[in-house]
Amino acid sequence: MTTETPPRPRKRTSPDPSLPRLSALGWVRWAWRQLTSMRTALFLLLLLSIAAVPGSIFPQRNIDSGRVADYIAQNPTTSPWLDRLGFFDVYASPWFSAIYLLLFVSLVGCIVPRTKVHIAALRAAPPRAPARLSRLDEHDEVVTDLSQEEALDVAREVLRGKRFRLHSHDGASLSGESGYLRETGNLLFHLALTGIIVGMAVGHVFGWRGDVILPEGTRFASSAGTYNTISPGPWVDTETLPPFVLGLDRLDVQFNEAPGRAFGTPREFTAYTKLQSEPGAPATDETISVNHPITVDGADIFLLGNGYTPVITVRDADGEILYREATPFLPQDGNYRSVGVIKVPSASPKQLGLTGFFLPTAEPTFVHGPASLFPDAKDPELALSIWEGNLFPGDAPQSVYTLNTDEMTQVAKADGSPALIRLKPGQTYEIPGDRGTVTFDSVKRFAGLSVRTDPGAPISLVSAILATLGLILGLTIKRRRVFVRVRAAEPVGAGVDSPEGDDRRPATVVTIGGLSKDSDAGLAAIVAAVHDRLAERNDRS
Amino acid sequence: MNLAANANAALYASMIVYTLAMLAFAWHLAARAPQVAESRAGERDEVREDVLVGSGGSGAPRHRTTRYAAGPGFEESIQSRQRGNIALMLTYLGTALLVASVLMRGLSVSRPPWGNMFEFATAGAAAVGVAYSVMAKRNHWEWLGVFVVTPILLVLGLSLSVLYTEAGELMPALKSYWLAIHVSVAFIAVAFFTIAFAIGIVYLVRLHREEKPPARPNFMESLPSSAALERTAYTLNMVAFILWTFTLIAGAIWAKQAWGAYWQWDPKEVWTFVIWTVYAAYMHSRATAGVDHRKSMYIALTGFVCVIINFTLVNLVSTFVGMHNYSGVG
Repeated sequence: MTTETPPRPRKRTSPDPSLPRLSALGWVRWAWRQLTSMRTALFLLLLLSIAAVPGSIFPQRNIDSGRVADYIAQNPTTSPWLDRLGFFDVYASPWFSAIYLLLFVSLVGCIVPRTKVHIAALRAAPPRAPARLSRLDEHDEVVTDLSQEEALDVAREVLRGKRFRLHSHDGASLSGESGYLRETGNLLFHLALTGIIVGMAVGHVFGWRGDVILPEGTRFASSAGTYNTISPGPWVDTETLPPFVLGLDRLDVQFNEAPGRAFGTPREFTAYTKLQSEPGAPATDETISVNHPITVDGADIFLLGNGYTPVITVRDADGEILYREATPFLPQDGNYRSVGVIKVPSASPKQLGLTGFFLPTAEPTFVHGPASLFPDAKDPELALSIWEGNLFPGDAPQSVYTLNTDEMTQVAKADGSPALIRLKPGQTYEIPGDRGTVTFDSVKRFAGLSVRTDPGAPISLVSAILATLGLILGLTIKRRRVFVRVRAAEPVGAGVDSPEGDDRRPATVVTIGGLSKDSDAGLAAIVAAVHDRLAERNDRS
Repeated sequence: MNLAANANAALYASMIVYTLAMLAFAWHLAARAPQVAESRAGERDEVREDVLVGSGGSGAPRHRTTRYAAGPGFEESIQSRQRGNIALMLTYLGTALLVASVLMRGLSVSRPPWGNMFEFATAGAAAVGVAYSVMAKRNHWEWLGVFVVTPILLVLGLSLSVLYTEAGELMPALKSYWLAIHVSVAFIAVAFFTIAFAIGIVYLVRLHREEKPPARPNFMESLPSSAALERTAYTLNMVAFILWTFTLIAGAIWAKQAWGAYWQWDPKEVWTFVIWTVYAAYMHSRATAGVDHRKSMYIALTGFVCVIINFTLVNLVSTFVGMHNYSGVG
């Protein structure tokens, strides 16, 4: 992002014989110049902003892979192409990465030489005053009866008060420069941006996250195998995760019950937990709520979700308990219509699978299918269909929240229609064909907890703060140069402006000129200040 | 009467006053128009004198006028000045009522009054009103009034008719002191972006008319020069850009606290980032020697379109489903 504009290419209508042929190194150098030019940076910035947009329009795997799957199912013609081009994973796609990497290469290629130039400028004296200051944007002239040295001293005093760095290259001129912090700020800003990227990379490589669903009244001991899902960075040793134990006593949940637009919106989620830093250590009471994570051993524990775990018992025809568990059902909408699966591999003669909905406040008619009217458990109901056959075809690993029905058949009633279980708490359903019973014992809540470490976050945070600081300096401070030249006034009589009266002292003409790179409202005021002080001194003497 | 009802009453009252202010600003512009024909020559002289100031070499300190946003370089008629003052007074009153409305809404629910789209829109409109009121008198921005008050009215009208949400408690994700920091800085930034956008549009029209002088001058010719307008828009965009950078960082810190990760490419995050890059591109293009200021201004205007998309489509359209679902609508 060098400020100098690259020279415009000459007309290409006829090949210019005087242009030397570029060697391979020459082309590399040319490409480098192009990449690090301000125009390229500008183009890449605009390209980056356009490239980021699709990620907000198409569902993204890193946010919600379920929605991506739905989208692909609904758009069978376009989605394979979109998928191939990375539109469901925009921020990890080659084209998005290419843009920001080029941008950062361009940025580094720009700040390194600029830093050198800036350091040299910090050491160097302000440049020699131009001969004709009247050509500068801001300029002024005053005739005074001070001597040339005195006039320069006055100017020096004024400019020093305005924090100019001053130097006289000769006895008749003064050069001043201020606003070095502008470039310092610019460089700091761009350097800090690379710091943010470094922090992100460190977090990606050394950070990890594990998610766990914890029903009320249960405990969880952290280790690589106990999380429902764990995504460690490539350099994380999953054997060294903090070994804390977390028990969920109670999850308090409140929803808005006042009618209106906000009906059913969440009001409060608080998890009351017992935390041990390692198995056997004394337990402390901790509450986790949204916006208030707790920290243990460098890992933060967040409350990110909640839902219901109906306690369901499945018995065989003899009344023997085959399954009794608080089974998490995952909420699908704002009213917590939740889906879940119960797998009973020990059932005979065939394995049993139940799949369906938990509805915290069931809409009784099911006219539009199973639906919930309110997120709190006001009138809970289970609605399940029953399948039998092989639960684990090919013994392939599968999610606990989906039922693979490839090798299963749905259990039907005597009349041949599919059997549908609808149960309120405490009720029991007899599976047709003397296959046993299903009982809906009670409902508990679960807390969806996420445990995360991101060692790169502090690097990014500090960098971001420095970047803001640099930005403020770089945008608000003005780089200014002010020059003062003195010369003896023309002989008395010729100058109309010479001081009145019989003055023996030789008059001095002082020219002041100001220069700024950007449009600068304050420059005129500085030139005026020098002018006015000189004029004032003149009046007094 | 309860505070929330008073807040709504104050909101309606401010809309009435703003409507009067808008009419008064238009009336003011009408009074500026006829002046232009005679004063155009004068304006040119004045600019020239300003450039040459100092070459006269007289000793006494002179009163200097900077050309920067100094308002019209023409002799403003008493009539136009009076109407401008009336319009400004009405704007102050409308803004005071709007700020009172926002404050009462906040008091009625004991929290920062920007927890849903309706509240964000009214607080944002109030910020625009305050920013304009503070800067208008000093910079002689009476001519700008109609371009600022009209969008305020539009936003207030839309927020009452489409976005209105009863005053109520926040959802858990918003219960954080970061709501006060992150969101307030966001809408103050939007307020500056809005005024800069209005000036940017005026700049483009003014520039066009400078390049191809129209047969009949109107109030446009009484405005500051296109170069001055461009500088003002740049300064405002610069302030807004710094505030927007802060919004982005504060949002990331809050996201880390609420969702466990500071950046997840949620649609709101994406658009905040897009806005930031577009305005960063504007800053770069403005700083690049040889790039036409008009082109830079187009980039800034595009940035503001992104600001509007970020507030409307991203909040309301289900395509942009993400974690920032606080609209309170639907």
